[in-house]
Amino acid sequence: MANILEVKNLKISFRTQGGTLKAVRDISFNLERGKTLAIVGESGSGKSVTSRSILGILAGNAIVDGGEILYDGKDLLKIPEDEMCKIRGDKISMVFQDPLSSLNPIVKIGRQITEAMLLKNKGNRRRARKEFNRTLSKLRKNMMLAKPGEEAKIAEMIKAFDSYNMSALKEETAYNTAYSYADELHESIGDFLFLQEKGQKVNVKFELKDCAAKLRRTKNRFLTKGNISDLKLEEGAKLPAGSIDSCIDKFVDELRSARTVYRLAGKDKSSAIDTVRDILERVRELVGGLVERETPDFLSIGYYEYKHSAQDIESLDTAAINKKTSACLRDEFLNEFTEYVDQAIRYSHEQSIGKKKEILAELDSAKTYYEGAYTKSAAKSYAKKLASGVENSIDELEIVKDSYAYTFRSSLLHAIEQYFYFTKHNPKEEARFARQSKKREALIARGKKVDWKVVPKRVRDLAELREEVSKVVATQDERYRDYIENDTNGNTAARATEMIEWFRHQASQAVYKINKRIAKEKAIRLMKEVGISEPRIRYNQYPFEFSGGMRQRIVIAIALAADPDILICDEPTTALDVTIQAQILELINKLKAERNLSVVFITHDLGVVANMADDIAVMYAGKIVEYGTADDVFYDPRHPYTWALLSSMPDLDTKEKLDAIPGTPPNMIYPPEGDAFAARNKYAMQIDYEEQPPQFAVSDTHWAATWLLHPDAPKVEIPKTISDRIERMRKKNEAAEAEA
Amino acid sequence: MEDDKREVLLKVDHLTQSFKMGRSEFKAVDDVSFEIRKGEVFGLVGESGCGKTTTGRSILKIYDITGGSIYFKGQRICAGVRTYKDAIKAARKELKTCTDESRRAELEKEIEDSRKEITKARYDHKMCDKEYARKLVAETDEKYKKLIAEAKSPEEASKLRKEYRKERSIASKTRLITKIQMIFQDPIASLDPRMTVREIISEGLIINGIKDKEYIDERVYEILELVGLVREHAGRYPHEFSGGQRQRIGIARSVVMRPEMIIADEPVSALDVSIQAQVINLLNELREQFDLTIMFIAHDLSVVKYFSDRIGVMYFGKMVELTTSDELFAHPLHPYTKSLLSAIPLPDPRSEKKRTRIVYNALAEHDYSTDKPSLREIVPGHFVHCNDAEEEKYKKELGV
Repeated sequence: MANILEVKNLKISFRTQGGTLKAVRDISFNLERGKTLAIVGESGSGKSVTSRSILGILAGNAIVDGGEILYDGKDLLKIPEDEMCKIRGDKISMVFQDPLSSLNPIVKIGRQITEAMLLKNKGNRRRARKEFNRTLSKLRKNMMLAKPGEEAKIAEMIKAFDSYNMSALKEETAYNTAYSYADELHESIGDFLFLQEKGQKVNVKFELKDCAAKLRRTKNRFLTKGNISDLKLEEGAKLPAGSIDSCIDKFVDELRSARTVYRLAGKDKSSAIDTVRDILERVRELVGGLVERETPDFLSIGYYEYKHSAQDIESLDTAAINKKTSACLRDEFLNEFTEYVDQAIRYSHEQSIGKKKEILAELDSAKTYYEGAYTKSAAKSYAKKLASGVENSIDELEIVKDSYAYTFRSSLLHAIEQYFYFTKHNPKEEARFARQSKKREALIARGKKVDWKVVPKRVRDLAELREEVSKVVATQDERYRDYIENDTNGNTAARATEMIEWFRHQASQAVYKINKRIAKEKAIRLMKEVGISEPRIRYNQYPFEFSGGMRQRIVIAIALAADPDILICDEPTTALDVTIQAQILELINKLKAERNLSVVFITHDLGVVANMADDIAVMYAGKIVEYGTADDVFYDPRHPYTWALLSSMPDLDTKEKLDAIPGTPPNMIYPPEGDAFAARNKYAMQIDYEEQPPQFAVSDTHWAATWLLHPDAPKVEIPKTISDRIERMRKKNEAAEAEA
Repeated sequence: MEDDKREVLLKVDHLTQSFKMGRSEFKAVDDVSFEIRKGEVFGLVGESGCGKTTTGRSILKIYDITGGSIYFKGQRICAGVRTYKDAIKAARKELKTCTDESRRAELEKEIEDSRKEITKARYDHKMCDKEYARKLVAETDEKYKKLIAEAKSPEEASKLRKEYRKERSIASKTRLITKIQMIFQDPIASLDPRMTVREIISEGLIINGIKDKEYIDERVYEILELVGLVREHAGRYPHEFSGGQRQRIGIARSVVMRPEMIIADEPVSALDVSIQAQVINLLNELREQFDLTIMFIAHDLSVVKYFSDRIGVMYFGKMVELTTSDELFAHPLHPYTKSLLSAIPLPDPRSEKKRTRIVYNALAEHDYSTDKPSLREIVPGHFVHCNDAEEEKYKKELGV
C-alpha cells in the first residue's frame, strides 16, 4: 500500500506571553491510502495542532521548528499559500469540532455547500485536463523511445485513447444524471406513498410537480432505450405497451392532469387522492424498472463509436451492446495499448534506475561534502546541481509520486538556508538577550519596579542544523539505495492497468461540469447522504435553524463536497448523542469505502475509535506514546497512558470505581525532562523522571514509548480492569465466531 | 422489591410541556410520568431534541408547565392547567347543543369543578415555596418555644431567642425549590465570567438570607475542598480553570445549598474521558456523603449504565421505556431502545467491525391507527410505551 501522507519529525511550538509552548514534539506517522488513522489523546496533547499543520492553518503565533509533511510530491510546510489553497479543502478537507463556529451564520446552508463546488469546478476541470495531457505526452514520449520506428501507430493510438476517453465520459455523465433522477424518483415516490398511507401530512401538489419534472429528465439515449417489454418489472405491473420514451411522455401528461384534478377537488379529496396514488404507483413501477437496467459500458461504446459507426449498435439492447463493444475494444485496441503502455513503463523504469545508479555516486560524495566546511553560495549551487540530478532520475510515469525526490530540492535548500541564517542570527540574539537582561538587572539593582520581562532568546543549535543538512542528503541516498535493491523490475502489467485507470479518473474530472442546478442537486444528494431529512426545505435554511447533530452533518457534507483525498475529522462526534454519533461514524466509514478516502480521525474517546480506525496513535504532551493497529492497541496495550485512558472509560459491564487519571497534563512551556506522563503515572520509575523513553517495538506494527518495555524494567501487570475486559471481549468474540 | 420501601421524593405526573411555534404548538414533553425514590440515581436518555433537558428544566420551574403536576416531597410544586381548560372547552361545546336537563346539570358541574381545579393548581404553582416556608416556620416555632420554655437561666433563654430569630428568618426565606439543584452541561457558559468562584458558590446562600460573612466563607472553603479544589481557588475567576475544574465549580455551586436532589444535565458530555471519570467518581462520592438523589440526563449510554439505578428512555417527548438499568440492557423491549443500545460504541475493534445498527422508524414500526398506546407495566418495574397487541408481544418476549 502506498502512503498518501507522510509526517516526519514534526515539531511545532507557540510563542506565548509565558514563553514558547512546545505543542508538538517530534512526531512521525504515515497515512495509507484508504485507511483510517486515529489520533487519541486528552485535550492539549497536540492532536488538533498536528491536524491543523497538515491543513496549513496554524495560528499566527505558531512556529514550525522542523519536520516535513509530504503529500503528492510536495512538502506542505514549505509550499506557498497559493498552492496550499489548491490542496486545502479540495484534496485535504477537515471536519471541525465545533460545527457552529465553522459555518457562516448569515449564509444559507445550500449556498455554503455549493459555494466551493461552483468556485473550484472550472479550475479543477482545467487542471485535470492539463494533468491528463501532460502525462499523456510523457507516455507518448516514452512509448516512442521504447518502440522506435512505430511513431505513426503510437500517435494514432494516443489520439484514439484521448478522444474516446473524453467522449465516453461525457456520455456517461449524461447517463448518470438521468439515472440519478430515476433513482431519486423511485425513492421519493416510495416515501410519499408510505407517509400518505400512514396518514402523515404530505404535499401532494408539490410531489406531483416534482415527479413530472424529474420524470422528464430521466430520458436518456441509453437509460430509456427500447420498449417497456425490455424492462424487468415487478409482478402485476400495470404499464402500457410501447416504447419507454412515449410512456414517459404519457405519464408526464397524466401527472399534470392528476394535479389539476386534485386542485379542483372540493373538501373531500379522497377520490382525487386515489387517482394520484394510482398514477404515482405506475410511475414508480416504471422507474423501478429503469433503475434495475444494466449499465452500459461507456468506454467500449465510446471507442466503438469512434472507430465504427454508432448506427449498428442503436438497435441492440444494452447487454448485447456491452458484449459487442467491449470485445471490440479489447481485441482491436486495449490489449495492444496495454502492451505498449507496459513497454513504456518498463522503459521509463529502466531509464530511471540507470540514472539513479549514476546519481548515487554523486550523493555519496555530497554526503562527505556537507560534512566538511562550506560557504553559503558554494553549498547552494552544489545543492541545486545535486537536486537537478535527483529530479532527473525520477521515474516519469509513476502515479504515486516519490515525495522525497520531489521535495529534495526544497528540503536541502531550506536546511542550508536555515543553517546560515542561524549562524548569523544566533550571536545577535545572544547579544540582545544579554543586553536586555543586563538592563533589567541594573534596574532591579537600583530598586526600581520592572514590569517587563526579557523576551526569551530564539536560538538553534548550529551543530544540529548542520546535521540536518547532511541528513537530507543521507535520507535521499538511503531511499535510492533501498529502491534499487528492492527493485523487482516486474509487475509493470499491474502498473499499466493502474495507469489506464488513472487516466480515466482524470478524464472524468475533466468533463465533470457543474452549474448552479447540478450543484444544488449534488448538494441535496449529499445532504441526504449525510442523513438530513427533507433536504429540499433544509437547503434554504440558516445554520441557526439546525440542531447540533444536524449542523455537524452539514459540516461533513461541505467537507465532502469537493471529493477530497484525505479527510481530517477533529472530534466530529464529541458534541453529538449516541445514535447520531453512530450514524455519523457509519457515514464516514461508508464514504471512506466508496471513495477510497483516507481519514485522520482525532478524538479522545477510545470507544469511537474501535469502530473506525485501522491504525491508532495515542498522543500525550506532544508526543506519540503508543502506535499500533486497532487490534494491537485494544487487545494488547503497553503504555501506562493507554491503560489509564482505557480504564477511565466505563463500558456496559463496569461496576467498580473508575480509575481516573489523577492531575492534569503538564505545562508544555516547561516540558518535563523525562517522560511527560511520569508525574501522573503510578508505574513511574526513577528513570522516567530523568530520560525520555525511546520507542520500544512490540511487534512489526506496534510500538510504545515507555521504559516499562526495556528488558531491565520490572515486570508490571496490566491493570486488572483492562485485562478482565480484554478477556471478556475475547470470549464474546470467540462465542460470536463459534455461532457464525 | 426493596426499592419500593423508600420514600418517593419526586413524582412527575402526566407532565406536558409545549412551546409556541408561530401559530402551532410544539409538544416538547408529552404526557410523561415517573417517580424517583430517595437516594436513587435516575438516568434519562434519548437523542438530542427528545425533551430530556426540557423535563429537567420543567421540574426546576424554569418553564411554566402546560399540563400535569410535579410533586416534590409530597408537596405539589408545579401544576399545569391545560387539561382542565380543555375539559371546560369540551363541556361548553357539548352544552350548546345538549337539551337533556340532567346532562346539562352534569356538564355545568364539570365546568365548575374544573374551574376549582384550575384555581387550586395556580395557587400551588405560585405559592408552593411559601407553603413550604410556612411549614418550616411553624416547625421552628414549635421547637424553640419548647426549648425556651425549658431554659434554665435568663441568659440561656436570650441566647436561644437570638438563635431562634436567626433560624426563623432563614426558615421563612427558604424555598422548597432550592432543595432541587441543577448541574448544567456547558461548564463555560453556565458560570458568570465576572464573578469570582467565591461569589458564584455563595450566591445561593446569600439569596437565602445568610448574612454572616465568616460562615459563608467557611462553607465555600469546605465545599471547594469537598469537590477536589483548594481554598486558594475561591478568589479566582472561572476562565482561569480547565474544563474539568469548571465543572467541579458547577457541582460545588449546586451542592452548597445542601439539596436533596440534583438534576445533572449532561454534566460530563463536554469533558475529556479522563476528566469524565474524575467527575463521575466525585458525583458518586457526594451522593454517598449527602444521601443525594440524582436525576442524570445524558446521552452516553455506557456512563448512564454505570451510574444509574433506573433508566428512562425518551423518544420525541414520550417516555418509551422505563426500568432498572440492568433489566434495560438485558431485555430491551421497545424497538427504539433496541436501536439505541445497538449504537453504543465499545472499545472492541473486532466486534465493532461486525456491529450492525438497528434503525428505528417510528412510523413503520408501530400501527397506532386504531389502538392508542400508553405506558404499561410488562413485568413488575418494567414499563413500556405500547398498545394491546404490542403488550402481548412484549410479554411473550419476556416469557411471562
